[in-house]
Amino acid sequence: MNITQDNLKVIEIMSRLSIDRASRALSKILRTGAKISLSRVYIADFTETTEKMNEDPREMTSVMVNFKGNVGCKLLFMLPMEGALILTDLFLRQPAGTTKAYDDDTQSVVQELGNILASHISNALVSDFNATLVPQPPQVYSDYAGVLFTNLVMEQGMMDDQLLLIETTFEICRTALECYLFLVPEMTSFGKLLDNLGVTL
Amino acid sequence: MRKILVVDDAKVIRMVIKQTLTRNGFQVAGEAGNGREALEKYKELKPDAVTMDIVMPEVDGIQGLKEIMAFDKQAKVIMISAIDQRDSLKEAIRHGATDYVVKPFEDERMIDALKNIFHDADSQSAETARI
Repeated sequence: MNITQDNLKVIEIMSRLSIDRASRALSKILRTGAKISLSRVYIADFTETTEKMNEDPREMTSVMVNFKGNVGCKLLFMLPMEGALILTDLFLRQPAGTTKAYDDDTQSVVQELGNILASHISNALVSDFNATLVPQPPQVYSDYAGVLFTNLVMEQGMMDDQLLLIETTFEICRTALECYLFLVPEMTSFGKLLDNLGVTL
Repeated sequence: MRKILVVDDAKVIRMVIKQTLTRNGFQVAGEAGNGREALEKYKELKPDAVTMDIVMPEVDGIQGLKEIMAFDKQAKVIMISAIDQRDSLKEAIRHGATDYVVKPFEDERMIDALKNIFHDADSQSAETARI
């Protein structure tokens, strides 16, 4: 499938709108400023991106969500273990530092944040772009960034020759949390989304 | 005191909902992590109302709603989900949901939804008694 720079621009706008909604939902649930910013939309060289992720030595916790509908897509939200503890305190309205170790509660918070992010991204794509997609139950995994990323991409990469990545940065107000949020749509889904907007692929 | 069954696959969400309910004078009858458990708990605990998530593993909330309504046509089920899409809302209403609350929500929104259910039920009972 041949995706032009103009097509990527359209996908970037769609991504930005849906990520903005997810960002607002997250701010509301954490009761603090949460900002998810779109870094770039690009056709990925799988090896290059994996190498970059492998350079990140941090052990991370992650939530992966598959979407069902006429637009196939996956979401991966990865954050460092200590970041999960901070988010748990914010989510549960506890004083900072209350959560000292990664446990069932922390895992459940990560799971729910994945659910909120995925749901609001899909809500935007459905209402603004006539897509049909519903998130499936989130799955939580913990490992090194490179391993988590490889797991996500391997599954998607096996279905498509090319891999399109929507990469974002994620900031929590007053807390510099370096996280990753990837959206990986199936290449074949683009035609449908762009058709809905009257854009030819 | 009204008894509520809380259904959500995320433990922390069940915890947050339980705290909100307790603070507002409701009793938590029990909790479940998917639609199948919800039906089992409903039969066992006979709650006055249910709060039900939609996206859950194994048996989702819409299926859970259908099964509870098939068991008890008078069941009061409030869907609580981050999915804010017309199709989900239509499906929930078609299968008998009493209300639909979008996550994240303010505590008052859920409590108002429950109070409305019981206000309507109480009004109906009073009307029936008068007749």
